Amino acid sequence: MKFKTFVAFVGPSILMMLLFIAAPLVSVFIQSFHHTQPVYETVTREVCTPGFIKQICQEETSSQPVLGADGKPLVETHYVGLQSYRDLLDMDRVWQAIDVGRWSEILTIDFWKALRFTLTFTLLTLPLVLLVGLALAVAINNALKSIRGPIIFITLLPFIITPVIGALSIRWLFIGDGIMTAMLEQWLQQDIAMFAQAWTIELLMYFYRVWHVAPFAFVIFYAGLQTLNQDTLESAIVDGASRWERVRYVLVPHLMPLIIFVALIHLMDCYRVFEEIVGFSSQAHVISLQWLTYDFLTPDDAGNRSIARASASAMLTMIGIVLLLIPLLRRTWRDHKRGGH
Amino acid sequence: MQMKKLFLAVALSAGMMASGSVMAACAFKNEVPLKSLSAGFDAWKAVAAAMSECGNFEGELDQEYKTKQPEAMKANPSLYHIGGVSNSTLVTLMGDNSVRPLDDLVAKYGQHLSPNQLIKIDGKIMAIAMMVNAQHLMYRSDILGELGIEPPTSYAAMLEAAAKIKASGKVDYPIGGTFKTGWNLGEEFINMYMGFGGEFFGEGNAATLNNAAGVKALEMLKAMTEYMDPEYLTSDSTYVQQQFQQGKIAMANLWASRAGAMDDEKESKVVGKVKMAAAPVAMEGGKPATTLWWDGVTIAANIPDDQAEAAFKVAMEGLDEEMVKANNDDAVWLIKGYTPGPAAKGAADSAAAGAPSYPASKAHGMIHTVAGSNLADYLTGKKDAATTLADMEADYTKAAKEAGLIK
Amino acid sequence: MSTPRALRQPLALRIGSGAFIAFWCLIAAFPIFWIMVMSFKVPLDAFADKPTSVIFGPETLAGGQGLSVPDIVIGLIVLFFFMRGVVRWLPAKVQQYAPGGQLWFGWILAAILTGLAFVLLFFGVLPPVMQGVNGLLGSLGEPVLGLTTEHYYAVWVENEFYRNFLNSLLVTAGVVLLSLTVGTLAGYGLARSGSNLAFWLLILALIFRALPHSVLVAGYLPVFITSSEWLQPVFDVFGASAPTLYGQPWAVIAVLVAINQPFTIWMLRSFFQSIPTELDEAARVDGCTHFEAFRRVIMPVMWPGVITTGLFSFLLAYNDFLVTSLLLDAQNQTMVPAITGYFNRETSTTDQVEAVAAAVSITAPLLLLVMVFQKQIVSGLTAGAVKG
Repeated sequence: MKFKTFVAFVGPSILMMLLFIAAPLVSVFIQSFHHTQPVYETVTREVCTPGFIKQICQEETSSQPVLGADGKPLVETHYVGLQSYRDLLDMDRVWQAIDVGRWSEILTIDFWKALRFTLTFTLLTLPLVLLVGLALAVAINNALKSIRGPIIFITLLPFIITPVIGALSIRWLFIGDGIMTAMLEQWLQQDIAMFAQAWTIELLMYFYRVWHVAPFAFVIFYAGLQTLNQDTLESAIVDGASRWERVRYVLVPHLMPLIIFVALIHLMDCYRVFEEIVGFSSQAHVISLQWLTYDFLTPDDAGNRSIARASASAMLTMIGIVLLLIPLLRRTWRDHKRGGH
Repeated sequence: MQMKKLFLAVALSAGMMASGSVMAACAFKNEVPLKSLSAGFDAWKAVAAAMSECGNFEGELDQEYKTKQPEAMKANPSLYHIGGVSNSTLVTLMGDNSVRPLDDLVAKYGQHLSPNQLIKIDGKIMAIAMMVNAQHLMYRSDILGELGIEPPTSYAAMLEAAAKIKASGKVDYPIGGTFKTGWNLGEEFINMYMGFGGEFFGEGNAATLNNAAGVKALEMLKAMTEYMDPEYLTSDSTYVQQQFQQGKIAMANLWASRAGAMDDEKESKVVGKVKMAAAPVAMEGGKPATTLWWDGVTIAANIPDDQAEAAFKVAMEGLDEEMVKANNDDAVWLIKGYTPGPAAKGAADSAAAGAPSYPASKAHGMIHTVAGSNLADYLTGKKDAATTLADMEADYTKAAKEAGLIK
Repeated sequence: MSTPRALRQPLALRIGSGAFIAFWCLIAAFPIFWIMVMSFKVPLDAFADKPTSVIFGPETLAGGQGLSVPDIVIGLIVLFFFMRGVVRWLPAKVQQYAPGGQLWFGWILAAILTGLAFVLLFFGVLPPVMQGVNGLLGSLGEPVLGLTTEHYYAVWVENEFYRNFLNSLLVTAGVVLLSLTVGTLAGYGLARSGSNLAFWLLILALIFRALPHSVLVAGYLPVFITSSEWLQPVFDVFGASAPTLYGQPWAVIAVLVAINQPFTIWMLRSFFQSIPTELDEAARVDGCTHFEAFRRVIMPVMWPGVITTGLFSFLLAYNDFLVTSLLLDAQNQTMVPAITGYFNRETSTTDQVEAVAAAVSITAPLLLLVMVFQKQIVSGLTAGAVKG
């Protein structure tokens, strides 16, 4: 294909990505090395606010932004180097904690706490999603044809439902004396509060993610099974391969490209875990990297937000994803070299 | 059955709307297209509805208003003419210079406003307040009565009462609290710290939290959690309100705007049993450990004067007596025509006992945030009080340096 | 076709896998079933501790609202036949009546009509009929199961949720159409170009996909709000006034399409790779340009892959929360942010049950969609939309 034709085909898509993803990405990269701040002056003034009957007036001294000639606040931008990354990583405290040997103290620093959860979450749910998806695909592929339709329909439900609503629907089953908690309490004969400690919330979050994504893995694998060559299987049986060996040596290799595809998508989405934190309001106990970024960007009542640290944390999140993806990408590169058109 | 009722309701409401538009009580017909952006709770719903009676008005009630409002009103021309603010969000708009002084407009169209409503900063009227809100004590009068406990006026007394209630086993958890990590928990800390007489800032915006008042505030909050639902770190106002309604808790410091819901027969199992009182004091001889908030309207700076005039006139229609009379129990209104019901008693008593107003400022917004995010580790026992307070100061310093408040 | 020997299984394995499927179906459907039950009860029942009170709704029943035994039986029968009709009868009819090449339009029309028919049947026709039946049956016609539709009424009529529904339709349709148009071209180009540039573009797209959305969206907001200022010089050339991008559905459509491009082009590229190159090469030999070859040879055979990819775009646009909540104003708000609005503002318990009712309402079209398209999803994927 000629280069010009190629550009004509790919152009619109690349243009949109450049405009809406690459441009913000560059600006995030730049912002992570700068502090942009208004110029403040200290002002003492009288502030009157309502009481219930009578107004309360008092002198207040506070920092107020200085206004420029155009009536807008003066803003300065300085280059601060890696300061935002240092603020985020807090290496001083990390080394200190390592020196005294209290490793758990590292996990009270927001970034490391978030990284710990994000990594565990990603790496724990990956095999679970692949296994459950594969098991469902094989089991449903063997089910009677007549009931396959409805079963596939029900299986896909958790995947298609709006994530926020899916998370809330599971949360309601467990929060307070939700019916599942009540049932567990009756069964175990003790008081249970699922949202009172970190590990139970984490467990719910793992469960939710597997519940939500396994159907995606299922439908991809199931489609892959439809193209499985029956002759290969038959010959494997002739060779005396056991059921397990057939799965191991025929089925899995056949599905391998799909397994890689699902793993790729899952790693990326999982590393950006966010909805679970909001849906299960787990901020008190566990946070994720994207939630941390989001939290930096959410203005407080007085309109402050930490754009520099948010940018730094977004860059670190991206770097993390790229590192995780390298092994999978190398395989894609080899395939590309082999199967060049 | 169902359907018949539904049709009836449709017909009825259609009829009401029709008659309502005939009676639409706006003194004038607004010709200038206007827009407003505010929070979405009941009081704002009522005010926005009253404003739209004047015509040509779009009232946006948006839960993301804190993020959108500063940007939208900074634009030139401003995307919104009227901005609904509270004492803390006004700080942002003032800092960006995106709201205008209202003295002329008040002189022209706002003579009926009570002086209490005029938010004056440095002598200039910057906003018109419409309601106040505060956290105060709500308690189950039946339970306290049966156990012979006086309504607590201090946190120490509240803990004692909680111990008795726990022993009696009358409710699941004696105390409820809006301790959800983030804004809610930050607000609890600020109330308690001020209750113990703590000062937030020293020289040059440096935070001064790591002191005796800070430690006492933290210890008191932790002592309260002993009597709460173990899931307190996820419980916000709506959750505490629901716990009250279902009879699971006996006492809580809850927002005045929630008081009306206790007697809502459709939701509540404890109608008539929940009474209001001033917020308890944190220490002997102190002021109630709570802060007063207000909500009100501002007019954008970056719009032509004639639009600002029209916007102000419409806003005055939204804040009139008629609106208050129709929605008396939706809030503790500051507007003439409001009859304080039993639900307003808690806020009124707290204010009368000298509860301070919320100390809104740029720097304070950061204190609120770091308190909200750091306290959980203390309450769950991962850190001790001094470390927590030191970490709060350190986090604050980072944020303040990034924002330019500390050099 | 007889079962191949390779798939014949011992009894224990059959039972095991059957039990596994049954267990999974229970887990998959239960939370969704449960919020549906909650949405039909008054708040006191919906948030009750005992499962039985949530299901039977004593407080709701005490309020005089409920279903009788014949109501339930007949309702279930009608529901069964309705779903059967959708799965079996509808696809055939669409194939039959839709004008050639405009299948997608036929599907959209069919989906809307089905939704309307459902609402009409269950909320318009059945209730008055059943009222008559219950009247005739006497004591058997007494309500036994508490059920109220008041929350749905509040959501759709009082709170004008249909506006959000229409906005969602607009945004979703826009995203699916634009995303497929742009993505199909790019996917085809990438599949047919063996160059290293194509590979690196794909990798770059993957890295783009890795950027957290919250950062992107927060970056857009100030730029979108002030767009009428900084875009003005460009628009001055045409003598027009520049638009404010904030609040515009088409701006959000563009953002969502861009965010979704990496996934779309990856999927479509794999799909096009599975179409033999001989097909378009033959057309090229006959003197067609690449574009003509694409239009004449590839377009007729690409629909299975495109429909499947389109469904994923649909899900992304329909379910999006971060982008739509921040970049749309209240007039153009879509359904998902509108629902979280119920939770985030100072809510009463009634508001919460209304939110549940709204949540069920927005899930219903998704169910319908999957019911209709289920076969296409699997066949599209099978045809090679994912080959890694």
